[in-house]
Amino acid sequence: MTDIHPLAALVRRWSRHAALSTDDRNAILGLPFTRKAFGKDAYIVREGQRTTDCCLLLRGFAFRQKLLTDGSRQIISIHIPTEFVDLQNGLLGVADHSVQSLDRCEVAVIPRSALLETSEQYPAVRMAMWVDTLIDASIFREWVVNVGRRDARARVAHLLCELAVRLDKVGAGRDGLFDFPITQEQIADCTGLTPVHTNRTLQSLRKDGLIQLNARSLSILDWDRLRQVGDFDELYLHHQMESRA
Amino acid sequence: MLPDEDRRAVLDLPYRLREPDAGSYLIREGDRPTHCSVLSSGYAFRQKLTGSGSRQILAVCLPGDAVDLQNMFLDISDHSVQLLTKARIADIPRDALQEIVHGRPAVGTAIIALTLVEASILREWVVNVGRRDSRERIAHILCEFAVRLEARGLIHDDGFELPMTQEQLADATGLTPVHVNRVLKSLEADGLISRRRRHIHFTDWRALQEIGDFSRRYLHIADHDILAELG
Repeated sequence: MTDIHPLAALVRRWSRHAALSTDDRNAILGLPFTRKAFGKDAYIVREGQRTTDCCLLLRGFAFRQKLLTDGSRQIISIHIPTEFVDLQNGLLGVADHSVQSLDRCEVAVIPRSALLETSEQYPAVRMAMWVDTLIDASIFREWVVNVGRRDARARVAHLLCELAVRLDKVGAGRDGLFDFPITQEQIADCTGLTPVHTNRTLQSLRKDGLIQLNARSLSILDWDRLRQVGDFDELYLHHQMESRA
Repeated sequence: MLPDEDRRAVLDLPYRLREPDAGSYLIREGDRPTHCSVLSSGYAFRQKLTGSGSRQILAVCLPGDAVDLQNMFLDISDHSVQLLTKARIADIPRDALQEIVHGRPAVGTAIIALTLVEASILREWVVNVGRRDSRERIAHILCEFAVRLEARGLIHDDGFELPMTQEQLADATGLTPVHVNRVLKSLEADGLISRRRRHIHFTDWRALQEIGDFSRRYLHIADHDILAELG
């Protein structure tokens, strides 16, 4: 184990959303939390549950999902380390969707009351925290476009571009190689496709020399073309917010 | 309920009124926002265009809704907002909003909660276009409009005025206009809705919800009640 504070990565990420003073940083580091480990495919939050905490992903990947009455599933977003998986539950009383682990993961469970108190006391923390939820919403908008108006090849390429850019931002990729514990079935549930269609699409992206996808890793071989195929413009990730902090 | 003092501060926010025509853009993707707009009357929609020029509608804003609250904190607009009807708009300067959010935590919480409910609706729309068939998608969106309009007292005669063309409904549901037309006809033939021009009347509300796989939880109406007075 290292001696780095588990919330240090959160401080780093939030300092891109707002100019945080030393007091602000210390307030974030002083948030009470309990660490909780989850196995693969475990529920972190269940739809319908009354919410009292927010969960920050320390290690591993997670996804938000909704199940339909006919049993089919739509994945609504993928989350990577240093992200909250349910920050909206800081204010909303009931979880309107579930969050599940994609692989083994560890989260910091932070009481909602502590988050709200800190955010009331420290305006810059408040701003950083809510910018997080606003960027989540921007990503949801882009996903509506993706499943609503792009063809299968563009949808899958777009998803891969998004995840690569986000992973790269938190330093989780190297030379276009990313840890990628997502199955083809899950990619299908992210993009509103069937697993068969997803498999065919991934094959064609591979055959065209755009990507290499292994059991747990993704390599992007031709970034420019993948971006073009996916109609990908990263404006919606609002990484340009960083320039102002 | 917001304390009186907070409520007064909200009412005292500076704003500029204008009445743009249907089809006008309130903000365009890529703009640097200087104000946030509230629909004092009229309807609007959020949209994005794909590289190939097709359009996806992301949300429909109803009378009383703020159309771009996220731009209070985000520096660049990531989508466009266009009016569905002629509308009366109050433009509130971005810095005045930022100030009230920071200076009055209760107001800030109320405003942020509004953006969180918007995000919840977006999640449901991902599900709607991603995993429901065309009949379910249209039924679902009609149910959503009905419940949101009802919360604003805008339901009349067991139905509502829907100021959207079939093309716009298609862009909101990821379908073609021809498909939307066919679905609306079949919902009518099955006795679930009836239509008179743009008025949608619910003849079997329960069955429509069932077809649309609709549950109102994601609208967070209970959370919303507290905030209604901000509208």
